[in-house]
This record gives sequence, structure tokens and C-alpha cells, in this order.
Amino acid sequence: MTGPVITTFYGVTNDVPFWHWTTLLHFCLVALAGGAALLTAMRAMTWASFPRRLATITVVLVALDLVVLWAESEARFRLTHVYLFLSFRPASAIWWGAWALAGSALLGVLLAAGWGPRRLWGGLLAVTATVALLYPGLALASNAARPLWTPLLLAFMPVTGLLVAWGVALVFRQTDLRPVVAGLGLAGAGLGGLYLIGLAFGGDASRAGLAELWRQGGPAFVVALAAMLLTPALVRRWPLAAGLLAAAGAVLARTLLVHIGAFMPPLA
Amino acid sequence: MPRFGMAIDLSACVGCAACAVACKLENEVPPGVGRLWIRLEEYGTFPNLGMEYRPEQCLQCDDPPCVPVCPTGASHVNDDGVVLVDAETCIACGACIAACPYDARYFDPRGFVSKCTFCEHRLAVGRVPACVETCPTVARTFGDLDDPGSDVSRAIRAARRVDVLKPEQGTHPKLVYLNAPASFGLHKEGVLP
Repeated sequence: MTGPVITTFYGVTNDVPFWHWTTLLHFCLVALAGGAALLTAMRAMTWASFPRRLATITVVLVALDLVVLWAESEARFRLTHVYLFLSFRPASAIWWGAWALAGSALLGVLLAAGWGPRRLWGGLLAVTATVALLYPGLALASNAARPLWTPLLLAFMPVTGLLVAWGVALVFRQTDLRPVVAGLGLAGAGLGGLYLIGLAFGGDASRAGLAELWRQGGPAFVVALAAMLLTPALVRRWPLAAGLLAAAGAVLARTLLVHIGAFMPPLA
Repeated sequence: MPRFGMAIDLSACVGCAACAVACKLENEVPPGVGRLWIRLEEYGTFPNLGMEYRPEQCLQCDDPPCVPVCPTGASHVNDDGVVLVDAETCIACGACIAACPYDARYFDPRGFVSKCTFCEHRLAVGRVPACVETCPTVARTFGDLDDPGSDVSRAIRAARRVDVLKPEQGTHPKLVYLNAPASFGLHKEGVLP
């Protein structure tokens, strides 16, 4: 049993976590779903014999992500999520994300069922998947008051998102992705390094953000970047290990940035 | 239409929290969260010490970062320039809480985000917000910022010094602080000494 909450009027009463572990799970699931959707789209557009199983996996991942998003919301039983699709809010990253995930699910179902023009659905799915991969970075970077959520996340989040999904795809023997995963690993590590340099040479708030990142998860973040950096060296001989390492590194880096960035109070 | 704003004279505020209590009761704010709180900051070195009592709440920004990030339009600005949340269409995604530089918003346990409304329901019947009415030292003034004759406009004109929180954020708050006790102005939270 927990005791009564004591009301206080002194100190910043709302300085409490506003996102929870379910949000961190969403940031990983949306990477898997968006990356799987993009892979499905590319296969649907370019391969003569399209594996419908891949589209089914995409639908399952998107559905899982949508269920997590619904379940984590304080408004889950008020069903207000319907307003995501009854509004026009192009300045909101989450509005784009909602349409991208819903569109990916619909197109994934059409591709999995084999209904309609496959290449057209594949082209549209490429668009919705790209938006799904881009929106988490936009959702973070649009918070100018949060020192850890810098504009560099607009690039870092989609690159690491793809690395999560396609690293896992390597584990499932999609070996044609080896050079792409190697490139994404290098890009992810490079962007992560640039991100740290940007914080170090930013203003007071950026440096305070870097200090907080280091205090709460600095060594883990360096390990995550090292894992991504090692991917190109391993991918030819040990693609399975390279895929796992890349995905794990990308998941760890994304989780740390979202977690620490959200729980750190906004600075001037 | 009016452009409602508020001024808090820090040289008159004694940090009694009567405004925070009035807000809590008037708006039935749940325990553990607040629409209004008092920040206490010490400054200076012995023997030249001072204390700043700073009531904080939603600053009703002219350029509120919490509004464009809302995916359903629940966060909006009404005709009087007051930033509000429509509980009916809020999906409690937390995007507005992340975007607010002032930690002014919170999750209401009933499943939506909430914040200071300048006591919109009182304004509708011609009354001032509860925090203004209850302040025992008359540190708070409220009114139409576009009306030079309003209480708030006159208080701002008469002030020795006028500050806003985090001006570098470019949010253009409509809640301003008058006569900060320290010579450097408002104590800036979060900035390392």
C-alpha cells in the first residue's frame, strides 16, 4: 500500500517524469516497424517474387507498436486517440507518426494479402515507412528547451532506427543488407560522435546536458557508439553477430537519449 | 479582444503560497501536481544574502511551444490569448509537457494534460483569477496587456524592473515579474554557477 500524496506548494511540483518505460519501448518498436516497412516496400517494388511473410511481419510490428502506444496513454480508456485522425496538425511530429503507422499497417495488410497493385502499394509504403522512421527525431528535436534533444537527432534517430531493424534483419539472413548495415553502423557512430561534440561546444545548457548524460549513462552511450562502429568490421565474416551488435548498440543509444533527455529538467 | 496577462511584484511577494492554495482549491488540482508553485532561491554571499520568492505557473506565452506540438489540437490559444487544453480531445501523449520550458503542465489522473487557465471560468463572469484575488500583499495584478489603463499595464509601467522567465526561449510570456530583489534580475534555475 502506498501512503497519501502530500501536497506541497514549494519547489517545482511538476518536475516529474512525463514519459515512462513504455515510451522507451515505443521508440524501439517504431524503429523496428518503420525499418521493416521500408524493407518490405523495397522488396515489393524491386523483387520479382515478393515474400508476403515480410509484409506480415511488418503488420505485426506496426500493430504491436500501436497497441503499446495506446496502452501507455493515460487516455487509453477515453478513446480520444481517434482525434489524431480527425485533425490536421502538420506542425506536430506525433500527428505525422500516427498517420505513418496507420498507413503502413494498411499497406502492409494489402501487400500481405496480395491484393491490388503491388508496386504502387510498395511505393506508398516506402513513403509511410520513411515518415515513421523520421518522426521520433522530429518529436524530440522540436523541444528546444530540452538540452539533450538537439536538431542532430533529426538524422541520428532515423539512422539508428534503420540500424535496429536491418540489424535484426541480418540475424534473419537477409544477407544482401550487409553493406547497408555496415554503412549505417558507421553513420550512426559518426552522428553519435558529432552529437557529443555539439553538446561539448554548445552553450551552458548543452554542457550541463552533456554532464548529465555522462553522469547517468555516459559509459553505456560510448559502448553503444562502439558497437555501431564495430559493425562494418564484423559484417562480412560474422553477419549474425554484426547484426545483433548493431541493433543492440542502436537500441541502447536511442533509449539513453530519450530516457535521460526526458527526465532532465528543461534548462535556460 | 483582450490580451490577458499577469504581473507579479517580487518585492511584495512574501512566499506565503496563499495563491497556490487558492489555485488548488479553485481548480480542484489533484495531489502531487500543481498549476502554481513557489520557487525559493537564495542568492549572494554572507553578509549580503537575499531570498527570492518566485511564484511560477503557466506563463501564457504569446508563442507557446506547447501548442504546435499537440497532435490533436487539444492545446490551443483562445481569443483572449489564454493557452488552454481541451480535455475532451487530449490523448495525454505528453508532447506538450516535453515542449514546455517551464514545467507548467502535468498529467491529470483523469487522463488528460492540465495547466493554469488564468481561471478561465472566472474570467468568463468578469472576475480575476483566484491567485490574484487571494494574494494578501497585492503582489499580483491582472488585466488586458493591450489596454494602457488596465491594472497590469499600469503596474508594469510603474515597475523599477521587468523580467520574464527564460527570455532566450523566445516564447514571449504574458506573465512578467516586477522588481526582482536581486540586482541581476531573476535567479536563473538550472544554469551552473
